[in-house]
Amino acid sequence: MAAPMELSCWGGDWGLPSLHPESLTVMAYAKFSGAPLTVNTINNSWRAPKGDLPVLVSEDIVISQPAKILNFLRKQYNADYDLSAKQGADTLAYIALLEEKLLPALLHTFWIEAENYCSVTKPWFASKIAFPMSLYLPGKMSREALNRILLTKGGPPLYSLTEVEAQIYRDAKECLNLLSKRLGTSQFFFGDTPTTLDAFVFGFLAPIYKVCFPRVQLQEHLKQLPNLCRFCDDILTCYFRLTVSSHAPAGQDTADANLQKLTQLVNKESNLIEKMDDNLRKSPQHPSRKLTTLKLAAGGEESSPMSRLSP
Amino acid sequence: AAEPWPENAALYQQLKEDQILLSDNASSLAVQAFLQMCNLPIRVICRANAEYMSPSGKVPFIHVGNQVVSELGPIVQFVKAKGHSLSDGLDEVQKAEMKAYMELVNNMLLTAELYLQWCDDVTVEEITHPRYGSPYPWPLNRILSYQKQWEVRRKMKAIGWAGKTLEQVLEDVDQCCHALSQRLGTQPYFFNKQPTELDALVFGHLFTILTTQLITDELSEKVKNYSNLTAFCRRIEQQYFEGHEKDSSTVAARSSKRSLLR
Repeated sequence: MAAPMELSCWGGDWGLPSLHPESLTVMAYAKFSGAPLTVNTINNSWRAPKGDLPVLVSEDIVISQPAKILNFLRKQYNADYDLSAKQGADTLAYIALLEEKLLPALLHTFWIEAENYCSVTKPWFASKIAFPMSLYLPGKMSREALNRILLTKGGPPLYSLTEVEAQIYRDAKECLNLLSKRLGTSQFFFGDTPTTLDAFVFGFLAPIYKVCFPRVQLQEHLKQLPNLCRFCDDILTCYFRLTVSSHAPAGQDTADANLQKLTQLVNKESNLIEKMDDNLRKSPQHPSRKLTTLKLAAGGEESSPMSRLSP
Repeated sequence: AAEPWPENAALYQQLKEDQILLSDNASSLAVQAFLQMCNLPIRVICRANAEYMSPSGKVPFIHVGNQVVSELGPIVQFVKAKGHSLSDGLDEVQKAEMKAYMELVNNMLLTAELYLQWCDDVTVEEITHPRYGSPYPWPLNRILSYQKQWEVRRKMKAIGWAGKTLEQVLEDVDQCCHALSQRLGTQPYFFNKQPTELDALVFGHLFTILTTQLITDELSEKVKNYSNLTAFCRRIEQQYFEGHEKDSSTVAARSSKRSLLR
């Protein structure tokens, strides 16, 4: 029944599977719903992107916009199965909010902010596209983004680009605050399993959160909302397995990572101490000083050095 | 900001009988409904050049004291600064939901109305062009309506709606109405007992869609499929618009527009 499905989209960096918000949304939904999708990231080859990415190809059907791709996937792989009708309605509303309020600022940060565009976005995208399209396509995407922002947000009484920018960043920060309030302390937006809305929010938030830009006012604002950051990290570790720990499930990740780091530190210290041991035995210094610091560090790992140090 | 609401506050829109279009009428009705819900008196004044008088180029706008504010969002904030608010009783999560649903209506319903008026060739030729330029002599009427059409089409292209067919747009309207209907359920208003600006906005758009006659009835049919939405519109109309004498003229004008639009 499952026809092989192929997704062409932009690749990723900085710990993300993709830099492009729409591609990321589709990838996230595929992971949430368990759809078997082979992902082809655009790299420096002649199979240049012809239209808008992401594009899903399944047998003979070619679908191009994320909303349509999700509708197609949902027929067989439904991540929204447990949602009530009202929650389904809320999903549409919040997606509209994201597109109206957050997307302009996202586009601005990536494509219009001069420092960001010249030092990060343009080189990255140009490196993924074959020459000579790499000279033309990033510029075209940037112009389209500027056009979109000016046409939708740039009318009077805002008369200059700086005023428009101020307005869209205000809107974006408000939108982030609203999302944070809505998420609260739960793991995903509708309980314990991720749905379409989580895919969209993740797709929009993760690039802001992870990509290292020179001008980062939106990222700084996002970092002040810890539940949204935790939301992105959880999805990355659970579903994309691209960050540090690959064995522990979501909730324990940070604790495990910390424990790992601590034990590594302790091991390093114990190795150092072993080397100094020979010198120490000859000198009149007390090794007990080192013992107490080891005791306070982590539990269980210092038994071997302690036994070695005891006279 | 502490001044009381003056008696001569006025709302400006285009000419009701001949000129105003579906989307502008919807926005204007939403603002009127909102002000009625806040119990703030307002006179509706129709001017042919209302769009040009407005500070943001969009109708409707209100003239209160010596301030001019246009569009529902800024008007809600302005009214709030004066001390009247409909959404104070909502908690943070509900406020977030309300804002999200208002964006949904703006994103889908308003854009669909604009698409239908300016990008669907039949409607453009038969309804929009004649109406939009009607107060002006030839050739100004044609020039102004082509200019506006070009502007709207550019915007549609930028947000990706230019490639949509009419059926797809109607599908989107259906989806939006479905979402609104699910959210409303059996409650009298979207946030149970008290109307909020979301109710005003939804009323403005749905009532206008239901009572405006276009080339085909497909758009209003989509809304009529959801009985709780039509009941919602009727309830608000009865409660806020039929009790007032000055608004009986708006109700009468609306019904006469049905015959005038053809």
